Amino acid sequence: MKPDGKVVLLGDMNVGKTSLLHRYMERRFQGTVSTVGGAFFLKQWGPHHISLWDTAGREQFHGLGSMYCRGAAAVILTYDVTNLQSIVELEDRFLALTDTANADCIFAVVGNKVDLTDSCALLPEAEDERPSEKPASGCVPTKVKRQVHADDAIALYKKILKYRMLDEKDVPAAEKMCFETSAKTGYMVDHLFETVFDMVVPTILEQKAEGPSQIVDLNNCKTAKNTQRSCCR
Amino acid sequence: MSVKAFKLVPAVEREMLMGDKARINIECIECCGKNLYIGTNDGSIYHFLLEEKNSPDEKTSFTVTKQLHKYLSVRKAVGELKAASALNRLLVLCDSAIMLVNMMNLEPIPTGARIKGAVTFTLNENPVSGDPFCVEVCIVSVKRRTIQLFLVYEDRVQIVKEVFTQEQPCAVAVDGHYLCLALTTQYIILNYNTGASQDLFPYSSEERRPIVKRIGRQEFLLAGPGGLGMFATVDGISQRAPVHWSENVIGAALCFPYVVALDEEFITVHSMLDQQQKQTLAFKDGHILQDFEGKVIVATTKGVYILVPLPLERQIQDLLASHRVEEALVLARGARRNIPKEKFQVMYKRILQQAGFIQFAQLQFLEAKELFRSGQLDVRELISLYPFLLPASSSFIRSHPPLHEYADLNQLTQGDQEKMAKCKQFLMSYLNEVRSTDVANGYKEDVDTALLKLYAEANHESLLDLLASENFCILTDSATWLEKHKKFFALGLLYHSNGQDAAALQLWVKIVNGDIQDSTRTDLYEYIVDFLTSCSDHELVWKYAEWLLQQSEEIGIYVFTRRPQEEGQDNSFNPDDVMSCLNKYPKSLVKYLEFLVLERRIQKEKYHTHLAVLYLEKVLNLKSLEAERNEELFETKAKLQSLLRESDLYRTRFILDKISGSDLHMECAILYGKLEEHDKALHILVHVLKDFAAAEDYCVWNSKNRGILYRQKLFHMLLTAYLNSSSAEHELVMAAVDLLNSHAADFDAALVLRLLPDSWSVQLLSSFLAGAMRESIHSQRMSQIALGLAKAENLIYKHEKVKLKGDTTVLSDRKLCQVCQTPFCEPAFVRYPNGSVVHTHCAAGRLVTSNTNRHFSSPSGRT
Repeated sequence: MKPDGKVVLLGDMNVGKTSLLHRYMERRFQGTVSTVGGAFFLKQWGPHHISLWDTAGREQFHGLGSMYCRGAAAVILTYDVTNLQSIVELEDRFLALTDTANADCIFAVVGNKVDLTDSCALLPEAEDERPSEKPASGCVPTKVKRQVHADDAIALYKKILKYRMLDEKDVPAAEKMCFETSAKTGYMVDHLFETVFDMVVPTILEQKAEGPSQIVDLNNCKTAKNTQRSCCR
Repeated sequence: MSVKAFKLVPAVEREMLMGDKARINIECIECCGKNLYIGTNDGSIYHFLLEEKNSPDEKTSFTVTKQLHKYLSVRKAVGELKAASALNRLLVLCDSAIMLVNMMNLEPIPTGARIKGAVTFTLNENPVSGDPFCVEVCIVSVKRRTIQLFLVYEDRVQIVKEVFTQEQPCAVAVDGHYLCLALTTQYIILNYNTGASQDLFPYSSEERRPIVKRIGRQEFLLAGPGGLGMFATVDGISQRAPVHWSENVIGAALCFPYVVALDEEFITVHSMLDQQQKQTLAFKDGHILQDFEGKVIVATTKGVYILVPLPLERQIQDLLASHRVEEALVLARGARRNIPKEKFQVMYKRILQQAGFIQFAQLQFLEAKELFRSGQLDVRELISLYPFLLPASSSFIRSHPPLHEYADLNQLTQGDQEKMAKCKQFLMSYLNEVRSTDVANGYKEDVDTALLKLYAEANHESLLDLLASENFCILTDSATWLEKHKKFFALGLLYHSNGQDAAALQLWVKIVNGDIQDSTRTDLYEYIVDFLTSCSDHELVWKYAEWLLQQSEEIGIYVFTRRPQEEGQDNSFNPDDVMSCLNKYPKSLVKYLEFLVLERRIQKEKYHTHLAVLYLEKVLNLKSLEAERNEELFETKAKLQSLLRESDLYRTRFILDKISGSDLHMECAILYGKLEEHDKALHILVHVLKDFAAAEDYCVWNSKNRGILYRQKLFHMLLTAYLNSSSAEHELVMAAVDLLNSHAADFDAALVLRLLPDSWSVQLLSSFLAGAMRESIHSQRMSQIALGLAKAENLIYKHEKVKLKGDTTVLSDRKLCQVCQTPFCEPAFVRYPNGSVVHTHCAAGRLVTSNTNRHFSSPSGRT
């Protein structure tokens, strides 16, 4: 089946791209091994099929990034809130990969692993969280110092707009497109993907509309006729 | 985890090629239909005929017969071979030139047409020229950074295009106008028609040999960094996730749904559907792996082998056998387009069903249910797993080959009672869901019977719902089962739903009598009454009527009194029959008569009198018991009085005779009232009972619907009774005054005043007088109004009369009678108020026939 739109996750290795996708698609958190090359899921969103591409963060596979981004309707740039380098890498290394994405591509900046720093994120958001999982994840949180703050993400978002030469007025607000999530507890994960999907739908519709329409609108035909008649008169 | 997707079968072995000449190596192969060509490093081409042997034991093997061995003129290695079967030509790359040779005899074509300066070449499998007598060939030229496109005909070649690239290309694949190129540092897609190019991803051709393979329309498979097999479309987009090969992959081939890759030690098989590695075959020293029209051929330098794909169905069965449901389903779905639709549907359904049973055996009921549903499982397959559930009469035989490996549930659960219970629970809910759907069509009996058995065994409350609604339970089987589980009430329902009401009742009566035990319903007696009440079989009702009345006279009688309305008058019970039956049950008899008289309102003297007598007897009887059952006495008296008052049918004299001598004065008074002997009645009420309120009531209800005069007469009689008593008791006088004051309107004031003693003060009667006055004035004014209205009406008529007389009516011989349409021949005529003129005899006739009336009211209708 041919997907209607593409959403790509980019980010340095070990920031949790695969875990975010697993949490969203399979409703659970599982330790994953380093992604090789890439993987993708198909998500039904209303009448549309959206392909979700997970990319490999390892330097070795960096070259594949721009191919994955080609024609993307949205790019989710992911970093690790406990790792300053991971957000720096987004700007230095990953932003250029998005050159091949659609002109109206939507960007989201996501800081993952907030469960390591904020106690609020320890509360699982997903209701289907199995009780047995809770103690494992929530019992003894090892607090790690947060290295990246929300402001940094917003600053990055603005840099992205500048890089893409987009006007802030034409795109969703930075506050709306910067997320902090925890794939481990499920905190804000659904919110992230659902926000992005909702924004992608208009572009999908636009693309579909561009294609030759299979539908003849009888109403329109009629009005056309009517105007003609009035002209003749 | 692996699947056996391919089998490695040797095809051409060392001895057949080079014998013991150690230096000769296989350089390239080509397979076209049954023709297998092998090119070697010493410049020779071998032609073999490859024939598949389909032996029954599934051991596919090939017979290979050598056809020809031909040395080319130059003793250099044969780099590549490609067959163009439509042209009967084999394209041979040797010493940087592509020669054309005859496919059958390997002789060079006489014209000697060739393409010079080629490093490597490929055929366009999605040609754009549209000419069936040529093939499109794309070469990487010996000239730096140059790609050339040729059209090759039977005996000539023609260059079409030359394209330059930014780097040196080292491998190429073509699809339509698109070239997929491995350059020195990256892969690109190049449209040779427009010149547009698209970078795919970087790759170092120095480190590793690139792979560029067309795998289908507009899609290529490329060797990527880190041993990735990357998919890319001509738009430069990846639509499938990459497969993960080893770092040193040499060749790749496609055999849907698998991607086969070769490295120095292994052949690996990945699924394109889920990107997982499915199979690994050890294969040393391999250096060529190619697919030819679905045949995957692998070669070492010395021998050629064929990878024979196992039938998909077999692979799926293997997966199912190892309980890998998800993978099996993915593979089955992926195979959809490679299998004819009808065959696929049959196969896929069966796989879904098998998968369902696997999930079922693992107690994954939700998944199992979904699979059974989508696989359209014959639900009896599932039922048959449970011992004894299918009815003995069922014609069901499990499908062959079996859908699962279990004999029955005991084997599946290995006797675990808890699991067993869960399985039964599942079947219950599943059958309940499907019984009303298409799934159960054709074997509703089996489904319902199984469900009944499950419910009965589990003591489930839905058992009764099942039996009470429309069902297809098989009687004999279900009855035995219900008896075994002592569900006698349910058994009765089963009999009932099979039209055997007599058997049902027999059973239920036994339960009530305590002959058999079943506590399903504590109100079973009432249930039976209800049942018989709505039972249309009157014989059955008669049969059990006595029994019912013996149990409870009050409730048992419902069977006669609460019968459904819709039961027609003609087939309802004859009251006389019922009454003769009820003779032994006095309470029931009363109830029945009440039903006849009060509810059905049967206007028969017999019943009314009978009921009155029964009431009366009861009252008398209760009276004799003194104060013991006062309340009941009071109640019965009220009923008696009400009956006497309301009914006009009973034999009044007869009752009166019965009553006289007792102290039932009120009843007596009512009876006198019925006889119009109001003096006697009022006398009793006023002088014996001294119940003035009752006396007033008496006047009110006796004068009901009888006009004001009768009412006045009654009230006047009452007043007289008050005043004319011999002993002028104070009490009676007060009653008289009260009566006058409260019923001023019910008296003729003039008569009253004549009757009143002179000593009474105006004050005492002020209310009465005022009322009487008001009444009198009111009636006077009413008559004035009536008079005025009558006068006005009279005036209107007079006016009309004058108006009518004022008009002239001209009668000529041309004027026709409106009735008979003939002229007038005498001067007398009749003129109607609307102006129409008719003969006198016609007018007389018209009075008789009313339908002409209509057309006179609208004479315009005729003209």
